[in-house]
Amino acid sequence: MSISGQCPDWIPVNVNEHKNVWVYVEIENGQIHEASIQLLGKAKEVASKVNSKLVAIMIGSNLGKLIDEPGMYGADEVIYVDDSRFETYYAIMSGEAMVQLAMKYKPEAFLVAGTMRGRELAPYVANHLRTGITADLTMIEVDEKTKEIILIRPPFGAWQLAHIRTLRRRPVMGSVRPNVFPMPPKEENRKAIITKETVDELYEPGLELIERVEIKSSEEKPIEKAEVIVSGGKGLGSKDGFEIVKRLAELLNGTYAGSRKAVDMGWIQHDRQVGQTGKTVRPNLYVAVAISGAAQHVFGIREAKRVIAINNDPNAPIFESADYGVVGDYKQVIPELIKLLDGIKNGKK
Amino acid sequence: MMGLNIVLLFKYVPNTNTVNVDPNTGTLVREGVPSVVNPHDLDAAEFALELREKYGGKITAMIMAPPNATKGIEFLLGMGVDDGVLITDRAYGGADTLATSYVLAAGIKTLEHYDLIITGQETLDSSTAHIGAQLASWLKIPYVYYVTEASLDNGALVVNRQLESCTEKYKVKLPALITVLMHSHPPRPITLENKLRAVIKKPVMMLTNNELKLNIQCTGLRGSPTVVAKTEFVSKIPRKKEIIKDKSPQEAAAWLISKLKDEGFLN
Ligand SMILES: Cc1cc2nc3c(=O)[nH]c(=O)nc-3n(C[C@H](O)[C@H](O)[C@H](O)COP(=O)(O)OP(=O)(O)OC[C@H]3O[C@@H](n4cnc5c(N)ncnc54)[C@H](O)[C@@H]3O)c2cc1C
Ligand SMILES: Nc1ncnc2c1ncn2[C@@H]1O[C@H](COP(=O)(O)O)[C@@H](O)[C@H]1O
Repeated sequence: MSISGQCPDWIPVNVNEHKNVWVYVEIENGQIHEASIQLLGKAKEVASKVNSKLVAIMIGSNLGKLIDEPGMYGADEVIYVDDSRFETYYAIMSGEAMVQLAMKYKPEAFLVAGTMRGRELAPYVANHLRTGITADLTMIEVDEKTKEIILIRPPFGAWQLAHIRTLRRRPVMGSVRPNVFPMPPKEENRKAIITKETVDELYEPGLELIERVEIKSSEEKPIEKAEVIVSGGKGLGSKDGFEIVKRLAELLNGTYAGSRKAVDMGWIQHDRQVGQTGKTVRPNLYVAVAISGAAQHVFGIREAKRVIAINNDPNAPIFESADYGVVGDYKQVIPELIKLLDGIKNGKK
Repeated sequence: MMGLNIVLLFKYVPNTNTVNVDPNTGTLVREGVPSVVNPHDLDAAEFALELREKYGGKITAMIMAPPNATKGIEFLLGMGVDDGVLITDRAYGGADTLATSYVLAAGIKTLEHYDLIITGQETLDSSTAHIGAQLASWLKIPYVYYVTEASLDNGALVVNRQLESCTEKYKVKLPALITVLMHSHPPRPITLENKLRAVIKKPVMMLTNNELKLNIQCTGLRGSPTVVAKTEFVSKIPRKKEIIKDKSPQEAAAWLISKLKDEGFLN
């Protein structure tokens, strides 16, 4: 194991020369992506454990006041590139810019929010730097003695987490699962040291954006933003089962989601899947209907405040992960719930 | 352009929830676990077949894996893929995604010509979604993730892709790499005819380090900057676990409502 990570073709790295924890700050529609803000919060903790600074990296065109924001969420420094070449985002171009900055400043760690764009970008940067990268990490630890940053991610199957070390190469890179870490508080008056950087010649990306269409999802709230989620599983029996799930969600002012089997059956879209290969959610209330409670599913609801389970199998593992559970047929229990909730609503009018 | 020369990358993954990590090497234990072609790569295969139907050309399925992955190639041949390349060598074992993509890039370079590399969005067993971007980095070609549609336009590829809250259309210079959005292209069934063709033609080529001649310091475990230092069990979140059974649906619903009220969810 100790021999790994020293291919002679790679530019040698002196691990001790690398300092500071970097976070790439993703900008979406003129705003900093929430997942990047969550990551700043967590990375701040890591930076203080390794006695280094938290540095936010921003790349774009006409960034304006946005460069002040990472400081409000804990960044000690902001290094930014503001250049018209970045007016349209291309992973390859932003990636090349990040590589140039990383070669110059030699960060110890470089973390990227695991949004869809982030997951596309981060491995490209890591590969150019010939360093390792860990996908979708959910925890970050610092070794007490060596102060090494260790990235932790769920691997395959059961209740296991893999601790991943990066030997001999730097930065330690990872994409971080959105929503696992909470939003840090915003301190309007906090200021980071701000450094403007420029980048040299960039590689032509070889692609050209022709069109972007925002998906209007006004009526269907994304599950990661919902305070209440009613989630359905294979035990619903058919797509029709989701009608009653959606109705319950509506009455609780929430939205609907589902297990992977519900997605596999084509009952709901993958962007509503909860779990290890779907999304992590952090609602106040999660209602699992006809979901067995496989480890990979429950993984996605660790951050839920309260969990209700409705399942007709008293031995379903979901009851181990529920605050309140009803053993029963959802087809009987939920209509009763809906009746009562309807009554409460009408009573209020 | 005379059709599209497509390289389809896929992984042969353990079909089970019970895969473990060897505590000594930190790598996946694959022995004794039945495998399947990574389901998300079947979407990619379907995507490739549809492109070939539209524009002609040829699809080569490629994998770096132990020799039993030949079965995965056979499966894809059964779907209609033209050829298969198995890259296999002891020196490639235990690779992380950097070292895997390094070898795959070398494998791709041995092909006479390619226009388009297609991968799945991610794998079932590691779901990193790294390989696509890393390969694009090694090969210095453009890449686009999460593609849902593609067509040719004057020798360039026009692709649509889907992100969390938007769709995008790009024009991409070839050669290029795309990853196919998972669940976007349910695979066609295997046909007997294709299967027979696969058996007769045996179009599986093997590449080892004798052919690729890579420095083995740069492949497998040695060429991997990351190692799994250890695995540990996740702590469970403490929950109240107040469970009721053998109650009428009315009683159960009333109980839940009272809990929701207590917790302040119905204010
Ligand atoms: C690498 C990997 C990643 C995975 N990622 C995810 C993930 O992200 N998300 C995810 O959800 N899964 C994931 N899975 C799959 C997971 O292991 C389970 O297979 C899946 O969560 C099961 O879905 P389910 O609970 O809907 O179905 P089932 O396990 O089939 O459970 C159905 C449940 O419904 C109950 N039921 C049936 N009829 C009724 C009724 N009338 N009333 C009440 N209850 C009823 C049954 O008792 C049963 O408990 C992953 C698996 C692997 C290997
Ligand atoms: N060993 C491999 N050989 C060939 N292709 C692979 C291999 N591993 C991953 N891929 C491809 O890369 C995609 C992303 O894989 P991953 O980065 O492991 O999530 C997969 O869907 C495959 O198409």
